[in-house]
Formats: sequence, C-alpha cells, structure tokens
Amino acid sequence: MSAFWLYVFTLIFFLFDYFILAMGLNIQYGETGILNFAYIGFVAIGAYMTGAVSMPNSVGTGQHYILGLNMPFPFNLLVGGLSAMVVSVLVAFIALRRLRTDYLAMVLISLSLVFYDICNNYVPLFNGADGLYNVPSPLASVLHLTTNSFTVVFALLTGVISLIMWWIMSRITRSPLGRTLRAIRDDDGVAAALGKSVFRYKLTSMMIGSFFAGIGGGLIIQFNTSFNPSAWLPGETFVVFAVIIVGGVSNNIGLLVGSLLVETMLVHLVAFLPAIPGHPGLILNIAAMMIGGLLMVMLWFRPQGIVPEKLRRSPAAVSSVTTPTEYAGIDEGVSHD
Amino acid sequence: MAGKTSWGGVSVTQFWLSFGFGLSTASVLAVAAVGLSLQFGVTNYINFAYGDFMALGAFVSYALNNEILHLDIWVAMIGGSLFMGVVAVILNRLLLGPFARRFTKTFYVLIVTFGLSLIMLNLLSAIWGDNVRFYNMKIERVIKVGPMLLTKNQLIVMALSVILMLGVHTMLKTTRLGKSMRAMSDNSTLAMTSGIDTKRITTITWFLSGTMAGLAGTVLGITEGNLTPAAGELFLFVIFAAVIVGGVGSIYGAMAGAVIIGLATEVSAAFINPAYKLDTAFVILILTLLFRPNGVLARTGKA
Repeated sequence: MSAFWLYVFTLIFFLFDYFILAMGLNIQYGETGILNFAYIGFVAIGAYMTGAVSMPNSVGTGQHYILGLNMPFPFNLLVGGLSAMVVSVLVAFIALRRLRTDYLAMVLISLSLVFYDICNNYVPLFNGADGLYNVPSPLASVLHLTTNSFTVVFALLTGVISLIMWWIMSRITRSPLGRTLRAIRDDDGVAAALGKSVFRYKLTSMMIGSFFAGIGGGLIIQFNTSFNPSAWLPGETFVVFAVIIVGGVSNNIGLLVGSLLVETMLVHLVAFLPAIPGHPGLILNIAAMMIGGLLMVMLWFRPQGIVPEKLRRSPAAVSSVTTPTEYAGIDEGVSHD
Repeated sequence: MAGKTSWGGVSVTQFWLSFGFGLSTASVLAVAAVGLSLQFGVTNYINFAYGDFMALGAFVSYALNNEILHLDIWVAMIGGSLFMGVVAVILNRLLLGPFARRFTKTFYVLIVTFGLSLIMLNLLSAIWGDNVRFYNMKIERVIKVGPMLLTKNQLIVMALSVILMLGVHTMLKTTRLGKSMRAMSDNSTLAMTSGIDTKRITTITWFLSGTMAGLAGTVLGITEGNLTPAAGELFLFVIFAAVIVGGVGSIYGAMAGAVIIGLATEVSAAFINPAYKLDTAFVILILTLLFRPNGVLARTGKA
C-alpha cells in the first residue's frame, strides 16, 4: 500500500476519533452548558489507562507504569472510558456544586495543568515525561496485520465505534434526560424551580462526556502505540471546543463536519506539509493561530456553527410561539440591542 | 548552630532560604494577580490569555534588552510593560469588548480569550522559537537579609511590587479613577447611570491590567532566570490559585492570596520534590473551594 493511502487512513482515524471526543465535550458544553476546560485531561486518563491495562507487566519493559494486565481489546478501551468517568465524578463533587461559569473554568484549567504536572513528573504512574510507548496494537496478532494494514483496519474500526457512540448519544439527547440537560443549559434556575436537581444532572452529563473522552483517548493511544504528556496541554482542549463551535453546537452531524474541518484539515493535514526551511514548526504555529482565528470569526458571524442545532419539537408543542433560533438555545445568549 | 535544628529533614537554613524565594515569588505573583483582578472586577469576565499577555510583555522586554537598542533590563522592562498595556487596550477595543457587549452569556467571551491565548502562544513561538531565552543582566552577588539570602534583583523586584501595591491601593481609595473602577466593579449599570464614563474606565483598566501583566512577565523572567513562550501559561494557574484563595474580584484578596500561594509553593519545595511545588498551590486551591469558597477575603456575590 502506498504512503498516500496510509496517510488518508490516518486522517480518517482522526476524523472519527475527534468525532467521538467532540460528542463527549458537546454533551457537557453544548447540551448542559458546563465549560469543561479540563476536557483533554479526561482524554489523557482514558488513553493512559487503556495503555497501562493492555501492556504487559512493566518489569523488563524499560518503562515504569502501573497495572500491566495484558488486557485484550475492547475491554482495555472500556477500562479507559470508565476510569475517565470515575475521575469526573471526583472532579464534579469538588468543582461542580456551587461555582459559577468562570470560577469553574479557572478551577478546571488549573486541574488540567495539575494532571499534566503529575503525569509528567511522577514516573512510576505512567512513565513520566517520556510517556508510554510500545502499546500493543489491538487485533494485530489475531488478524495477522502488518503495520500498514493495521492502520486501515483500526481506522475503519474507529469509524464503526464512532457510529455506535453516535447512536448512543442521540438516544441520550432525545431522551427526557437530554431535554432536562438542555433546560439546565438554557436556564438552570428554571430547571431547579421545576424540581430538577441541577447538580445531579450536571454530574450525569460530566460522567457521560468523560466516558466518551476516555474512549476517544484510548483509541488514540492504541492507534499511535504511544502517548506523551505534552500531547495534552490545555491548548488541546481548545481544539475540541473549536471542532464543536465551528461544526455546530448540539448537532451530531455538525460535530462530524467540525472534526473534518478543524481536526483533520487544520491539525493533521498541515502536520504532513513539508516544513519551511529554517523555520521548523512554523506551519504548525500558523495552523494553530488559524484555528483560534476561525473560531472567533465563527462565533461572531455564525455562533450556531455550520450545521445549526435542530429545532426539537415535542408533539404537544407544535404550535409553540418560540422562533427556531430562540428555541435552539445557542442564539439565546445574544442581546439584540 | 541554627543549621543543626531541623524538622521534617529540613534545616532552619533551608527553610529561610526557601522563605526568601517565597517572598520573591509572592512579589511577582502579587503584581500578576492584581492586574488580573482589576480587569476581572471591571469587565466581569476572566481573561484566559493573561498568561500570554505576561509572556508577550516579557519577550518585548527581551527584544529591547537583547535584540534591538540593548537597553538595561530594568529600562527594557518598562518598555515591554507599556507595550503590553497598549496591546491590551487594542485587543479590548477590537476583539474582547465587542464580544462581551454582544453576548450576554460569559461563555462566549471566555472561549474567545481562550482562543486568543492559543493565537498569542503560537505567535510568540513563531517569532522567538521554543528555545529557552535569557535576559542580558549582570550576575549578582547574594545579599544576606536577616536569615535569608537574596539576590539584588530579587530585592528590587520585591521593592517594586510593594511600591506598586501601595500605588494601586492609593489609586483605588483616593482618586476619581479608582473610585469609578470600584463603582463599576460593584455594579456597572448603576455606575453608568451615575454618569461614570464606563467605556473610558474600561480602556484605562485594560491598559493597567496589560501593563501589570507585562511587568509581571518580565520580573518572572528576571527572578526565574529564563523565559519561554509557555512560561506565562504555566504561571497562569498559580495566579488563578492566588486569586481564588484571596477571593475573585477583590484586589486586597489577590494580594493576600499572592503572599499565601507564593510562600506555600516555595516553602513546600524544601519539604517535597520541587517538581511538585505548583501542585501545592492546587491543593490549597481545592481546600479553599471546599471550606471557604468565596476566598479568604470574601466579597459577596462574586462566586
């Protein structure tokens, strides 16, 4: 297989993987209104735990890490997702109970840096600054895959997993739970007045989103076979936000479009461009600035994203007096003065 | 004989040494935290690009000190700070102000500052590269101050910080500008209807906040001995800890928080692995949130 196709399938992998990550952040930010600036930390927890349980016992590997259970696919992935979920419960109990939006964002971004600091410095946990490497490729030994055919199979497998996750997520967002989350996003005071426990619903939303983050992270470490702490500094959270806001908040098709435009094109396509002589990394710097700029332009001119949130009507409210944009909630923050 | 006494394996000498470092860190932190708090109080949203404001100020000082003009570092520092103040005013006029006025939910403007942080970090790294840089300054002898050992630069930074804090205090309490700022911080609509030119006050606040960010970034580079584009962002989280511990929106809280966090991080570095000294700040942050969520010097209604 030519290098070109290998490269195409790498892009396909990241398209679907960031689709999963975007769905996870979307239920927190888009559906519930939690500004989770620590999101990439949960991705990292999923990645490291998936790696650590699927690798052999650390003695003799030249790396230091916990667990080492040789756990097969897809159980290792589930462990990754569930660990991220467990940590999100702890975080929610500390941070989510009574902090207003910007306080919470400050605490979460600090948390993200502390996760980074601990993993980067405490070697026995996940091998410190070197990160985990030589993570076994799932199914490779069972299906007798080479490095190249593994890329293709795993990219397609990630596509299938993302479709399953998509189905699960649309079940959740269409359920009464999803409606309550959107009510909290639009006005948590009203939701509380109607007898909904805002904290419990936010906790649920954090848990579901973090599970998606953990699965997405687990897929990344198995695809790359390595994971390094510098891959999840807080700026990476911003990329996921950009995927959501550019594509369309609270619209799963929009998230896929956003993943294609931001993650696939601006993050991974540019990484394969030849470097400008004498300026290594300049192209990546420019691409990152473009992501920031694109997000600001989108927020100003089209805050609902490329594919806006669908108008959800219950049969009882067909003759509702609200206009689609107001109902969609995303324009709700705009003051028309 | 003082060196013989020890607790937790740390001698008294070591303790005072780290205490000196703590005071120096607290001075830098106080400037940074007060700059962030001033702007937060008046505009009512957190600037997540503040760490990159610090880094930009520090690198402009570096350029004046090492690349063009070759100014003395303290003169270059003034240049870098004022430059950052002007940039902050421009950013507010063209970017943050319009977003804050258009969207009533803080969400949007917070994400914009987060994006601005990504842009500024990459701009700095595109211009100056990711290599560690050093200011051009004389190697200083250490001076013995009581039981502490401090360099001349650290002493200058501390003096600068104390003067600046007194200046901010005088401004807030006695001048018309300071009173207007406090009025806007309490209730900006009421301030506007009382005839305060809120737009002008906001511009001045951004200038002060940017200048203090640039100053803090440069003195951080001086006391740490080096600077990188990401240094500001890593320091931002310590600033957040100081601001939250002191109470968000309170200037005096920010000062108190800076002293608590500055001393705690450096003194704890004598007892634990210094690589984790920043995590001490985070532990204090979490404890504050659990037991005193409005901060040590709480102001009601801001949390």
